[in-house]
Amino acid sequence: MERRDYLVRKLFFAFTTLVVVAVFNFLLFRILPGDPVRLIIHSPRMTREAQERIRATFGLDKPVWFDGERFQEGDILGAFDSQFTAYVRNLLRGDLGVSFATRQDVSELLAERAWRTVVLVLGGDVIAIFLGMTIGLIAAWRRGTPLDTGILLFGLFSWALPTFFLGIILLILARGHLPTGGMVTAGLKPEAGLLYWADVGEHLILPTITMGIVYTGEYILIMRSGVMEVLAEDYILTAKAKGLSTFRTLRDHALKNAMLPMVTMIALTFGYTVGGAIQVETVFSWPGIGRLMYEAVQKRDYPVLQGSFLLLAVSVVLANLLADLLYSVLDPRVKAE
Amino acid sequence: MKTNLWKLVAVLVVLTLVLAGLAGCAPSSTPTEIPTEPPEAEPTEEAPPEEEPTEEAPPEAEPVTLHIGLTYIWDTANPTFGWYNYGLRNLLYDTLIEWGDIDTFEPNLAESWDVSDDGLVWTFKIREGVTFHDGTPCTAEEIAWSLNWTIENEVETFSFYLTNFEEVVALDPTTLQVTLSEPVGNMETALLLFTWILPPSVWEGMTYDEIMEFEDIAAATGTGPYKLVEWVEGEYLILEANENYWRGAPAIDRVIYHEYATDDVMIQALLAGDIDVIDAVPSTGVQSLEGAENVEVLIMDSLFIDELILNSHENGTQPASLNDPTVRLAMEYAFDRDQIITVGYLGYGDPATTVLPTSMGDWHNSDIQPIPFNPTEGNRILDEAGYVDSDNDGIREDLDGNPMEYRLYATDSAANARILEVISDGLAQIGISAPPTVMDEDSLIGLYPDFDFDLIYWGWGLDPDPDFAMLIFTCDQREEGGWNDSGYCDEEFDAMYLEQAVTVDREARRQLMWQMQAKLFEDRPYFVSTYYNNIQAYRSDRFTGFGMGCGDILWKWCFLEGQPVE
Repeated sequence: MERRDYLVRKLFFAFTTLVVVAVFNFLLFRILPGDPVRLIIHSPRMTREAQERIRATFGLDKPVWFDGERFQEGDILGAFDSQFTAYVRNLLRGDLGVSFATRQDVSELLAERAWRTVVLVLGGDVIAIFLGMTIGLIAAWRRGTPLDTGILLFGLFSWALPTFFLGIILLILARGHLPTGGMVTAGLKPEAGLLYWADVGEHLILPTITMGIVYTGEYILIMRSGVMEVLAEDYILTAKAKGLSTFRTLRDHALKNAMLPMVTMIALTFGYTVGGAIQVETVFSWPGIGRLMYEAVQKRDYPVLQGSFLLLAVSVVLANLLADLLYSVLDPRVKAE
Repeated sequence: MKTNLWKLVAVLVVLTLVLAGLAGCAPSSTPTEIPTEPPEAEPTEEAPPEEEPTEEAPPEAEPVTLHIGLTYIWDTANPTFGWYNYGLRNLLYDTLIEWGDIDTFEPNLAESWDVSDDGLVWTFKIREGVTFHDGTPCTAEEIAWSLNWTIENEVETFSFYLTNFEEVVALDPTTLQVTLSEPVGNMETALLLFTWILPPSVWEGMTYDEIMEFEDIAAATGTGPYKLVEWVEGEYLILEANENYWRGAPAIDRVIYHEYATDDVMIQALLAGDIDVIDAVPSTGVQSLEGAENVEVLIMDSLFIDELILNSHENGTQPASLNDPTVRLAMEYAFDRDQIITVGYLGYGDPATTVLPTSMGDWHNSDIQPIPFNPTEGNRILDEAGYVDSDNDGIREDLDGNPMEYRLYATDSAANARILEVISDGLAQIGISAPPTVMDEDSLIGLYPDFDFDLIYWGWGLDPDPDFAMLIFTCDQREEGGWNDSGYCDEEFDAMYLEQAVTVDREARRQLMWQMQAKLFEDRPYFVSTYYNNIQAYRSDRFTGFGMGCGDILWKWCFLEGQPVE
């Protein structure tokens, strides 16, 4: 019962957050200076009609919230024919509009780009989790020794390392052996089967390693502090007194409890990095969602910006939700507010 | 719990593999986003598959492929509203005439031409045997159709070159006749560069709206030396040689453009051999490339200029003091071009005087003497004119007692930020405060048409014919969407502009151009700061022979001279 209430409460908050985000999303891009239509219309000689036509295509000729004039005329329904209602209506249909810059359907664009970022991030994260957990564990078990200090410094260093810089260094080191950018060799298509996947994999190696190294530092530090805390507990002393081996102590007692903050961290990181791989995507010219957002900001591509920000918000909210639920599963004590 | 942990790990590993595979299967973007009925788009798209996998053991010779790296491929395949990468478009289409040198012209689709005595009727002898990429013929009929279509639909990217065209007609398959409403001084140049001949087989019958939405690969159909095979947005674009090109099949069979997110990485890519040519080398990359043995770096004259725009609109929001010619002259004495070039361009450029760069040959007014950097003189001029610093805060006051503070803007590139500092420091030395502000391009554009600024540092990529550079300063272009970014408007100047447009005699036109440049130099709507270089680099161990006369080795026929190193 308690579990279900917890779940319902969390879901409700997540939903409300998303609604607020959706509205805020819409507002945000209307406040920015600059007229996006000017970016589409370059010609000094484009006729007024042509300009109006473009405005109408993108729905920019309607009032932003509410049409006061039509309301006064008695046209109640028509008064709500605004950019905002169009936005909400389309959102509910899953239609995120069409990109100003490329005229491609935004949902399609996001879907194909998001996949690529997820693969990149997932790969790096998996490496980081393994390495981070193992090394962090070792550091905590050997706390106080030079090994621990060494690992601590390494963790801090790799976490603080600017991703962009690391990426370029790796690129220079691997020059000639691994591709310098892109997702796949030009012209190669998924129909080529294994050849294609192997090629994508080859292009994935450097960016994944870069992401991995950067995240590893973070995970090392969290794991280390988490395990250290746990190892200071009385029940560990008891386990040792009982004669349990190091390995069993760690595995059966320390690890489980230290995993709690780790799991939360992992879930949250997934949420943020959908849009956060910008630096890696830029260095390696990886056509993912981070790069898409960066370019969309430059071009004032409202629909793409709205769509990707929404996506980012959704993934963060969902990741948070997941973290909360996982936490309640792993730690039975967590259920009540 | 431990089993759950291992399960979690196992699931993650499997997920990664599955997702990697699915990323491969996820739909990749194709140019055909908007459904259309292009006549022959599909066959061109499906053509290459045999070539990709057979890298190892082909029965015939392997295709010669050249890889180009750049930071942005282009905006659209549609030439009617595509504003980027004209070099690429120029490989797809042909024009009637091609540029030879500054004022010599070479025949392209037109083998020869002449003009009637009154300058109104031009007759072109059209080359025979030319076909479009889709196999349809390109005779005088199709060319006439294309030019008329361009004018009727007001094709925004190049119809304005044809404003004086009254009638275009094909007298027979090899004779094209153009009748003008007034004689035009730059007729040949108007039909050069960008007035591409487009095929009726693709475009005929489309409404204006359909034209504006047509993004299919077929939009790239032309008569040019290369055909567009594939374009994956944000990643790469593939061109294939047109075996039937009238000048002969190109030596390079395939050209692949690779889009890189940053230009620093392209340097590494060139050294690694992932690409063979860098289209625009950042000035910071020149040294590392020059050090490499198998790389040739080309530092060439270009048609690019950068300038400081001084708001000259009578209704602009600039303070009155900025309109005073004396103040402008003093400011130019505080404008350190040499330092700007060192800091902003790492030396790859020349200090500028007038709006027309030296690469334009004798169009450039070489009589005009540059104003040297001399803050002492600037101070003297301002003192004499009555602009003094009464409260001793380092900033002069204007004749109304207001401190002379100007808003200084530019787009936010690393180089611009530093250039603005140099400008600001220079002005500070003559008692004018101009704190630098960088912003994104869209915000800068948003300052118009209200002309709400004082000083902007910006630049142009000019046309080889000087007409365009002068158009920028005409009164008409101040309206919304126009090219006039300084707000300058002068009757005398406009009169000269209109006159040169209809002056056929080259020398007379040149004199007008010199007079116009002199007028602009006096009135100072611009301080033209730099004629900067176009820097390119390529792998000299792989390719050689590119023509050097175009200022750009990727430009059409200069590019066609390139061949693989044997």
